[in-house]
Amino acid sequence: MSGAAAPAAPAPGTITGAAAPLRSRRLTTWGLAAPLGLAYAGFFVAPLLMLFAVSFYADERMTRWGLDQWQRFLLDSFHWKVVADTLLLGLKSVAATTLLGFPLALLYRGASPRWQRALLFVAVMPLLTSVVVRTFAWIVILGREGVVNQLVLGLGLAAEPLRLLQTELGLVIALTQIEMPLLLLPLLSVMARIDPRLLDASASLGASPWRTLFRVTLPLAAPGLAAGCLLVFASSTTAFISQSVIGGGRLVYLPAMIWQQAMVVANWPFAATAAIALLVSVSAVIAVIAYAGRVAAGHAHG
Amino acid sequence: MLFRPSSPAPGQAASLRGHTLDVLGLGVRYGGFTALDAVDLSVRAGEVLALLGPSGCGKTTLLRTVAGFVRQDAGQVLIDGGAIDDLPPNRRRVGIVFQNYALFPHMSVAENVAYGLRARGEARARIAPRVAELLEMVQLGPLRDRRPGQLSGGQQQRVALARALAIEPSILLLDEPFAALDRSLRLDMQIEIKRLQRQLGLTAILVTHDQDEAMSVADRIAVMRRGRIEQLGTPVEVYDQPASLFVAGFIGTTNRLPCTVERSEGGRVALRLADGTALDLPGEAPPGPALLTVRPEQLVLHDAGGPGRFPVALGLALPLGGQAIREALLADGTALRLTEPRLGAIRELGERAFCGLAPGARPALFPRPDSEED
Amino acid sequence: MSLAFPRRALLAGAAALAAPSAMLRAARAQKGGSLVATTYPGIWDDSFREIVAPAALKTKGVEVEFQALFAVDQIAKFAASRGAPPFDAFVLDPGPRITAIERGMFEPFDGGKLTTLTKLPPQLVDQWGAGCAAQVVGIAYNPKKVPKPGGWDDLLKEPWVSRLGLTGFGTTFGTVSLIELAKVFGGGETNVEPALAELKKVLPKIAAVGTPAAMPGLFQQGQCDVMYTNTQTVMALKDRGVDIEFATPRTGAVAFFTTLHIAKGSENAEAAYKYIDTVLSAPVQQALTKPPANLVPVNKDIALSPNLPMKSLDEMSGFVTHDWAKINPLRGQWIERFNREMAK
Repeated sequence: MSGAAAPAAPAPGTITGAAAPLRSRRLTTWGLAAPLGLAYAGFFVAPLLMLFAVSFYADERMTRWGLDQWQRFLLDSFHWKVVADTLLLGLKSVAATTLLGFPLALLYRGASPRWQRALLFVAVMPLLTSVVVRTFAWIVILGREGVVNQLVLGLGLAAEPLRLLQTELGLVIALTQIEMPLLLLPLLSVMARIDPRLLDASASLGASPWRTLFRVTLPLAAPGLAAGCLLVFASSTTAFISQSVIGGGRLVYLPAMIWQQAMVVANWPFAATAAIALLVSVSAVIAVIAYAGRVAAGHAHG
Repeated sequence: MLFRPSSPAPGQAASLRGHTLDVLGLGVRYGGFTALDAVDLSVRAGEVLALLGPSGCGKTTLLRTVAGFVRQDAGQVLIDGGAIDDLPPNRRRVGIVFQNYALFPHMSVAENVAYGLRARGEARARIAPRVAELLEMVQLGPLRDRRPGQLSGGQQQRVALARALAIEPSILLLDEPFAALDRSLRLDMQIEIKRLQRQLGLTAILVTHDQDEAMSVADRIAVMRRGRIEQLGTPVEVYDQPASLFVAGFIGTTNRLPCTVERSEGGRVALRLADGTALDLPGEAPPGPALLTVRPEQLVLHDAGGPGRFPVALGLALPLGGQAIREALLADGTALRLTEPRLGAIRELGERAFCGLAPGARPALFPRPDSEED
Repeated sequence: MSLAFPRRALLAGAAALAAPSAMLRAARAQKGGSLVATTYPGIWDDSFREIVAPAALKTKGVEVEFQALFAVDQIAKFAASRGAPPFDAFVLDPGPRITAIERGMFEPFDGGKLTTLTKLPPQLVDQWGAGCAAQVVGIAYNPKKVPKPGGWDDLLKEPWVSRLGLTGFGTTFGTVSLIELAKVFGGGETNVEPALAELKKVLPKIAAVGTPAAMPGLFQQGQCDVMYTNTQTVMALKDRGVDIEFATPRTGAVAFFTTLHIAKGSENAEAAYKYIDTVLSAPVQQALTKPPANLVPVNKDIALSPNLPMKSLDEMSGFVTHDWAKINPLRGQWIERFNREMAK
């Protein structure tokens, strides 16, 4: 997220005599960070490098090197469509969570402490249940004989059951609920830090509530919003279970494709290629969101 | 709900001069707590009125009600004789300088000052010269592109002031504006604000818990306590003729001497202090137990006894510029504070002396309450 | 500073840690053998731990430790181990079985070592291993919602097509069903194009296209009322009170066997034979036919469930079977073809 703590730099004006204790303190800091750092190197960086290497095997039995898998992936418009669909799904989830989550965050800001606790609990609740349970719950809700359709048919709003399950709309609806905590948690913490007097000041200067929202609240909440959007995007583009169970077989996204290639076809080189494609494309979008957040944060705290 | 605040009336915006504020029977309750209890207050055109009192006295609530952030349960707020109770804060044209200045951290100094003008839909061409003029007025022209985080406390306050003045407010509300400044800067800013207020003919309300600040900046002071105004008057009136024991205690340093009023006739009061010393003062009071409130400068030390003088043991002296604040203990151990010129005889700690009222001093006399309270 | 000391110390420490477990293994081996066998995650895992493991210990003195792995994972894990097998026995479906045979992952199998050999249909035991359960694939439907379908091509006609739940080549049952569908339209074991072409024509009408794992849930929730699946799934859903029946297509149900194999290089081959013998023994086979495992037994002494489309195992010789040596090389392409044709 933005504002990750850098190793303590000497404060301006530090007396040079203090350099030695400072250095030893820095060594201690590095020492304390070492276990996690080594774990990252061993369990994250190394497998990632292996993944990269595997993608350069030419055949699925992994006997010779070559760019065959990359050619196969990149020269096929279907794969590009899958990449685009995956990123688009992420963006739609981000848009939906933001449109619903931001007003909720505003509500949270204005609420009494008791209501704040209640809202926070509701917001975090999706995190307290397993993703499988959440996903299957959405089948029950969105299905042909599900809650929504029973309501729609019961009220006579439609003659036929609506098709919600196995559509992108249904998937985005489910992801919105499933990913909502990831947006709300950073957003709420940033929103809670906005000085309420800034909003009073804006009003006293003649700004309408809307102007206050767009000129004061939104820019100051931008870092939290960007962090939340980033998490939602990364999580929804890789939400394999929700994508395959709610989206169904006709909506093809990269995670399902990787799973098929790795687990069913046992073509690891191609699965690795697709995995790197997912990593690179998602990281690219995340970099853009993070950059936007940093620019906004720079404005807010520069 | 997208509306633009309409300016109250064309032409009216032109002058900051000569607006009045009237508060009639204002009442605000938070649950079971009465924050304001039927407050009446008239602020004259072009004056600075200080709302002074301890925390929780209702002064901030009064300010927020005038600004429109708090909706009153009873009473009215009028500006220039017209009720503004139904206007939302953004349509009241009340300028506020907040305690922490509440500058928008994501905007430059110039953008902060221009904020209200933009909100009002002022033409771009008119905004720039107006912002330049305002920044010139608070002597911040060169810093126009800085962000608030890059400014000192005093500079931030000037920005806050310029920003509030930009909308040409009918009333300027100052919410503890000097609290965050260090002592030397505080005096500069007090002078500066006073100068601007005079120059522009602004009507202003200053909320503070600092009596010195109220004394030096305000034309009149409203001392508040428990949601009510205890006394409204000029600083001199409030200091010299406190309307209540609370005001006497809150404003300035006061010695409370328990005494008994024996007679009150012909415009003079005869009373006896706890140690038996008899005093004769101008004024009127019902006979019975009373409290005499005496300012430190109303007491004088003598080497020899005499009528109206009582013996004291001298305590510590704190030199304060040309004078010293001296502690003196009465026979029953009660500590007094009095001012002592630093010229003249130097008295030692523990020395015996006699204390009496200074010539012409008129200490205030209050009936003694059953229990001490504040 | 030299790294020699810590490394030596580490090695010594590791050896000390390894020693007790090695001794434990040795102790166990003396009793009658022990082995590590794979099982599929889920119901297979539960049933094999509960039924097979105690039976093997009791009747043969063999201690079985299970690793729950999908077929592809078993192959991948074995391939990664290079010489030191991570387990002693495989459990595989026909497709992965062929892959493993091609890659030389099995010890040759001697059926003569099984005491149960005479109880098994002869085609179930070969030089590579022995079948332990049959799978019968056909059409499942909700009798309250749609009439009984007669054949694979009925799936693409009304009223079934608009209630059809479809899954691709990701599973064995999905693959064989789509091959059978292709056969109706002129395709075959190596040509599924006709099936894909016909599916594409009716695609907008199809009720659901899901992952294999999601299909039972979708059926239960009424999202689809017809699907192709195996008898095991039908019985599992029936146990849960779902309205579901199995229909044998007029071209015949598809049968294939889940097989057990001994891993190449296993040091516990004798124990592995005893383990396989246990799985095939009548009491264990009987227990595995009960819910929730609902397996189709291969031991001829066991009576078949009335829900199955055959009265005896001998009838199964008339069922449709497939040559996975031909299917395997094509399956990767088919999976991708299915993705493309079905994608919105």
